Amino acid sequence: MQNAREGHCYTFPVFTYILRRIVQSFVVLLVVMLVTFTLPYFQVHGILAPAYSVLQTHANPKTVALWGAQNGMNHPYFVRFWTYVTQTFFHFNLGHSYKQNLSVWGLISLYVPRTIWLALSSLVFTIIIAIPLGIIQASRRNTFIDYAATGTAFVLYAMPSFLLCMLMLDAFGFHWPHLPTSPPSGVSPWLMFSDPVAFILPVACLTMLSVAAISRFMRGTVLEVMVQDYIRTAKAKGCSNRRTLFRHAFRNALGPIVIILGLSIPGLFSGALIIESIFNYGGIGIQTVYAATTTDVPTILGITLLVAILTLLGNLLADVALGIVNPRIRIEGTSR
Amino acid sequence: MSEQQFKSSERGITMVDINPEGILVDSADEIVPMWRQRFRIFAHNKLAIASVIFIILVSAACYLIPWLHPTNQTNQALTFGSKWNAAPSLAHPLGTDSSGFDELGRIFYGGEYSLTLGFLAGFITIVVGTLYGMISGFVGGVTDTLMMRLLDAFLSIPYLFLLISLITIFNRSTMFLIMVIGFTGWWGNARIIRGDALLIRNLEYAQAATAMGASKLHIIRRHVFPNSISNIVTVATFSIADAILFLSALGFLGLGIQTPQTDWGTMLQAGTSQIQNGFWWEIYPLAAVFILVVVAINYIGDALRDAFEVRLLER
Repeated sequence: MQNAREGHCYTFPVFTYILRRIVQSFVVLLVVMLVTFTLPYFQVHGILAPAYSVLQTHANPKTVALWGAQNGMNHPYFVRFWTYVTQTFFHFNLGHSYKQNLSVWGLISLYVPRTIWLALSSLVFTIIIAIPLGIIQASRRNTFIDYAATGTAFVLYAMPSFLLCMLMLDAFGFHWPHLPTSPPSGVSPWLMFSDPVAFILPVACLTMLSVAAISRFMRGTVLEVMVQDYIRTAKAKGCSNRRTLFRHAFRNALGPIVIILGLSIPGLFSGALIIESIFNYGGIGIQTVYAATTTDVPTILGITLLVAILTLLGNLLADVALGIVNPRIRIEGTSR
Repeated sequence: MSEQQFKSSERGITMVDINPEGILVDSADEIVPMWRQRFRIFAHNKLAIASVIFIILVSAACYLIPWLHPTNQTNQALTFGSKWNAAPSLAHPLGTDSSGFDELGRIFYGGEYSLTLGFLAGFITIVVGTLYGMISGFVGGVTDTLMMRLLDAFLSIPYLFLLISLITIFNRSTMFLIMVIGFTGWWGNARIIRGDALLIRNLEYAQAATAMGASKLHIIRRHVFPNSISNIVTVATFSIADAILFLSALGFLGLGIQTPQTDWGTMLQAGTSQIQNGFWWEIYPLAAVFILVVVAINYIGDALRDAFEVRLLER
């Protein structure tokens, strides 16, 4: 009976909390849309800049004006923004890529699954490797293992990502040619599963880069937790070191890590950009660079919006997961 | 006093004398001023001192050598028979790159731009981030909520995508690069410093100051800022390293410092494109310098955090 009542007390506010977070996320999303929508107005040719990239040698004041009229550039700022928002949210229409002659939604559904596959698999490996590594580093502080792991993490963290990729490529594709150097490139997102071995190098590179950052963070967090009062209490009541570490320190150190993982989603996309262009893997990163260099504004807006949605979703999931691993947050979250 | 005093070095951790209240005292039993305490803890970290010296040496070399011993870094030597991709020799201690520039001279020449950009952009980042975080954390209420939601929006945009878009859309000049990296890199910093300000605002001494009728500006200036300076300084060092790294990523995409100037990222990109030809001098010396510089900056940041973290003394 007591349990049921407690369960009721917990679950109901959690849902209102999640609901409120979703509403807040929508507001944040609107701000992202406002910012990204407004920026192109400050270009050299304003919002007519894509016309010069589309029309190329045919661009003259007359054709550019005509192009602007055809693409609805003559409407006032707020009308255009209203159209953009309503089209996005109520018609799921992200516009048309001027340069690729393809709807932005089509472009995204073509390339984003490939990037997500890359980012997600490296995220999984990062969690599997970085969290135990950070704990080992913290529990064996100032030993050889700690120094070696911390030193490696420092070097990897200080390395430009493209340099690491090129060195890996040179080592495993050229000097000891045992691994394929490029993942399968096909239009179909399912084709990427045809040759899993080819993903070892890119996923390994992306994983190494994020393990460097996350394990270092994990080490710091565990060290910070280890000086807390409840750890001393646990040790005082006779907990073994291992039990203290895994039962008491680990659960409390997970909180910051979960948040960092949620926040690392845009970083994964940024990292994937470099990896994609080095391993010649047609993902959304390459498309972003191409869209940016050809001022393909609708594509950039669409991709930014998508990553923003994924990030906000990641933050939300991180907060919910935080409530699961740490009951104190759950109560705090509901009382706010 | 001296009987109670004990050496924490006997516990094998830090080599500073603290009394049981956690206050550093020197041999004459005088309480050491806060800044000297922190400097002492920092100075005990040999590797951190080595890092500082290394950064100073590299900066001095990058700013002085292109001026004291100028090498040709503007006119390409691509005619048949001229020395491009030449192996190290007496005339060119680290060989020449694929455009015929002296590699050793170019490392210093590019470093001038990479380091300048890193320091300036890092500085802008920390100033803007501190102001934003302080205001948001201290004013609180609706302002705080609005400012934090705006920050959430910024943080959910992939940073590299934003840099690429801004640089391709607007301008590729060095000044604009510094501005872009500086004025877009402060989001994470603002969040950390806002957390600090929020924490300090609710501490007893800040409340006491409020009770005694201190203005908000006074509390920010005299209580919040001095007490969060540790985080500000630490975050600033990391920002410098991050700015250098982001510049290198832009250099890889061809959006770094534009020719005839260069930066380390652009040079590394040029070097790695020659990696299969075995021209090791175009990549490994520079890679070593680059990594060491960023590692040193990050390590200084870590050591500073340790120096400022009073609780670490107890470990």
